[in-house]
Amino acid sequence: MFLVWLRVAVVLYGLASVATLAAVFGNRPQWKRLSVSLAIIAWLFHGVSCTEMLADAHRWMPAGMHEVQSMLALLITTAFLLILWRYRTLSFGVFALPLALLLTVVPSLGLDKYAFKSPMIRSGWLFVHITGLLSAYAALIFSLTASLLYLIQERRLKNKRSPGFLNWLPPLETMDQIAQTTLVLGFCGLTIGLFAGSLIAQEIYGARYFADPKIWLSFLMWGLYVVLLFVRRSKGLRGLRAVYISSLVFLAMLSVWAANVFSSVHRFSAP
Amino acid sequence: MKILLTGLNHKTAPVELRERLAIAPENLAAETQALLSHPGIREGLILSTCNRVEVLICHDGDDPELSKYLNQHFSIDEKTLQPHLYAYRDAEAVRHLFRVASSLDSMVVGEPQILGQVKESYSAARSVGAVGPALERLLQSAFTAAKKVRSETLIGASSVSIASVAVDLARKIFGSLEGKRVLLVGAGKMSELAARHLMQQGARSLLIANRTHERAVRMAQKFEAHVVRFDDLYARADEADILITSTGSPEFLIRTPHAQQFLHRRRNRPMFLIDIAVPRDIDPEINRLEGIFLYDIDDLQSVAASNLASRSSEAMRAEAILEQEVVRFQKRVEVLDVVPTLVDLQAAAEEMRQAELRRNHGRLRSLTPSQLEVIESITRGLMNKFLHQPLQTLKAAAREGDTAAVELIRSAFQRQGGREDAGNAAQEQSAPDADAPPAESAGKSGEPESLISKH
Repeated sequence: MFLVWLRVAVVLYGLASVATLAAVFGNRPQWKRLSVSLAIIAWLFHGVSCTEMLADAHRWMPAGMHEVQSMLALLITTAFLLILWRYRTLSFGVFALPLALLLTVVPSLGLDKYAFKSPMIRSGWLFVHITGLLSAYAALIFSLTASLLYLIQERRLKNKRSPGFLNWLPPLETMDQIAQTTLVLGFCGLTIGLFAGSLIAQEIYGARYFADPKIWLSFLMWGLYVVLLFVRRSKGLRGLRAVYISSLVFLAMLSVWAANVFSSVHRFSAP
Repeated sequence: MKILLTGLNHKTAPVELRERLAIAPENLAAETQALLSHPGIREGLILSTCNRVEVLICHDGDDPELSKYLNQHFSIDEKTLQPHLYAYRDAEAVRHLFRVASSLDSMVVGEPQILGQVKESYSAARSVGAVGPALERLLQSAFTAAKKVRSETLIGASSVSIASVAVDLARKIFGSLEGKRVLLVGAGKMSELAARHLMQQGARSLLIANRTHERAVRMAQKFEAHVVRFDDLYARADEADILITSTGSPEFLIRTPHAQQFLHRRRNRPMFLIDIAVPRDIDPEINRLEGIFLYDIDDLQSVAASNLASRSSEAMRAEAILEQEVVRFQKRVEVLDVVPTLVDLQAAAEEMRQAELRRNHGRLRSLTPSQLEVIESITRGLMNKFLHQPLQTLKAAAREGDTAAVELIRSAFQRQGGREDAGNAAQEQSAPDADAPPAESAGKSGEPESLISKH
């Protein structure tokens, strides 16, 4: 049944994406109300789907690529709704809702062919590990998006005769706050996730686990994250340089995700 | 009930004439009451702003000659006033009022103040009992139309004055202006206006620096601001999020090294610099620095001009919305105009009564005139009693503007709405009764309408 809820959520994400594009680019209040309502309903269906999926499997964590993608999409939508509530800006929906749609399309087509079979699957530590990392991914996506939008808005304000279709961009300070807050939250998630994962790995596999490309890329990403946070907070880094650093961490994050294919000890798709 | 709107505005009359007719807000209620005492006026309202003076009335019968009223009341001779006056009647008056309330007739199209001014006039008129059901319906529809134009178009979305453009840009940088600090360098009129706008939008405090210290102190007292000594300008400018310059300095006051210092001390937090001075006070090169946003007077004017152009295109969309609203209002008025329906209902019932009496003519032939008179009286009494409650309800529904109830009563009696009723009723009355036998038809038989009169 959870697939049915997920498919409903996918359709609603699609409609919410269209309504958000119309609301943001057309600046029409009635579309704004519609897009927010659709996004909230989609999020509720998605939440029900994920809860039912995990309850059926008698576990707390996703154990396959489809499940992970679906959970990540849910976290992204949650982050978007929190930003909407806190900063009253729908602009992030232009990216967040289509991304949630893309991430949920494949999981809605069917169940995972391969799932993580380890008995560890019901471990509380593993739940902390995965939730922490997925939250960090979601937060970093928003941080990078906010930094990019900051850059566009900054250029627009400096050029003075900017095109009217960029009127929807949120104020600079709002984007800076979102970038900073999501960065800090993402760092907390990443640290907790990596710490929990390291404890489990040390317990079961010992040091050899840390030679895996996916694992050391994860630590590299954490290191870059620390640098980014430090530089941003100490120097008040904004604009282009902030985007460079955010992009670097984002690339590292994508590498970690892609390294799933090369990993011998940490992969979802292999039997 | 007829509607008449007459007056003058910035397009038809010079300010010298407009100011002679202008009514202060505190006198509006009394003036409206005076208007109501003019013969023939049932309901009335006066709208007086810096750009227009308009009188809107509902009346029965002929025009109450409002221009004469204006001549006498404001002691302006007819020759002076008449060429500048316009008058709109019924649908045209409705359209004009909707355009005024929606700010399509304003000097600056899309400005938001006019709706508030119309509402103030409405309140003043209500307070003296000058607003009856007709004007109430008209004004509520005007407010709805104006709200619709605001929410469905971008007519008021962009700023068109220098000061409001500056506020808009500050919002694009800082989001809310709550807690932001403004530094005024030089005490010019334009910078004062921009600062006033920023403070009204929530900026926390104002700092003023001027070469003539006393002038800065005087201005600071006016705004409850703090004075910064001109010599301390570079040391304290970084305290401000928004800096407005308007000095008469022939050279740049703020150059790139100064701005770099400000940014360093602010840990790169953005700064919005507004240079209203001519010649300019701030080196334009500093706009290249990340975190500095510099706008001079030309930049602000160009943003205002482009916003004005976009308002014009939105105004066309607004006109289309208003046209629909005018049609909707007219239909609603037609539905609520129940007089033709009342006449029609009574005529139809009377027709039915007469038809029944004619049908039973043979059986009633043996009755004496006094007995016939009794029957006539009983049937008429029954008809009136039967119609009394529906007609009262219909009148009450029309008074309260309850179109649904009016339509329901009409459909229950198979009557159509509005002015068509009158035509239908007239047609039905003039046409022979289709249900009555041809020989008994009043028209063809030549018999008089009442049985009593036959005898």
